Amino acid sequence: MKTMDCKEVLANLSCYIDGEGSDELRQALEEHISRCRRCRVVFDSTGKMLKIVTDAAPFEVPLSVSARLYTRLEEILSES
Amino acid sequence: MMQKPEQPNPPLPGEDDLILVDRVLGGDRRAFESLVRKHERRVFRVALAVLGNSEDAEEVMQDTFVRAFRHLGQFRREARFSTWLTRIAVNEAIERRNTRKNYVPLAEAETSEGMLTPKRYEPWRSNPEELYGKQEIHRIVEEVIRSLPEIYREAFVLRDIEGLSAEEAGEVLGITVPALKSRLLRARLMMRETLADRFEEPPTLRRKLVHAAVDAGTAMAMRLMRAAGW
Repeated sequence: MKTMDCKEVLANLSCYIDGEGSDELRQALEEHISRCRRCRVVFDSTGKMLKIVTDAAPFEVPLSVSARLYTRLEEILSES
Repeated sequence: MMQKPEQPNPPLPGEDDLILVDRVLGGDRRAFESLVRKHERRVFRVALAVLGNSEDAEEVMQDTFVRAFRHLGQFRREARFSTWLTRIAVNEAIERRNTRKNYVPLAEAETSEGMLTPKRYEPWRSNPEELYGKQEIHRIVEEVIRSLPEIYREAFVLRDIEGLSAEEAGEVLGITVPALKSRLLRARLMMRETLADRFEEPPTLRRKLVHAAVDAGTAMAMRLMRAAGW
């Protein structure tokens, strides 16, 4: 199995998180992060960051904004 | 007890959209409202990702749905309806952004140097809710996403919040898949770095020294640990 350095591992962070890449690549990444504390922290905290962001459901449409959208659409939809 | 009827053919994602599109094209204009309800959040977020402020995003959201309604007959069904709509939203938003008097396009090279090297190596808390309320986390997350440079913000919102595939997000933004992935990686690392202040576990002196020893493997760190009695 190919040994990867931290730079290569970081370049493949998204592959790992998104479940992409070959089995061989994932094995090499897992092997590296099992023995490299820093990369392990980066991988783990990036996963936690994504969970925090998706759980937070940012940028909901404010009610007033939604109401104005429907008012405008009402005009368009009732056009003959 | 009533049993849930079996659904041998559950609807595919986007299948409902096609039924609604057909109804609108067949003269049922009210079906368009259902499409708006399903997709208004995404259109708003995408517009906000490109423009960075809610006022412009609101106008773009309205213009996007008006345009989609008027040009619905041009929807070719090669892509999902949501992707087609997202593309309209991105184009509307980019058009608006480019007409701003003070708009200066951000060159990728200006922000890419050195961004791939993380600087924070403390582990993160497992339960951030123990420290912050839901509203506070919501506010922090929005603030940090807004602070991203636009090319990274767009990639991050489309891929990690709206869940578009890399191919869809690249197509919507008019960039290649490798370019999209490169921006996304930087965006994720920037988000991690910026949010670290709030979500890292508080470092203890002991852990700091242990990490220093592990990371650097230096005799100095070992001496510090011995001096501290560990």
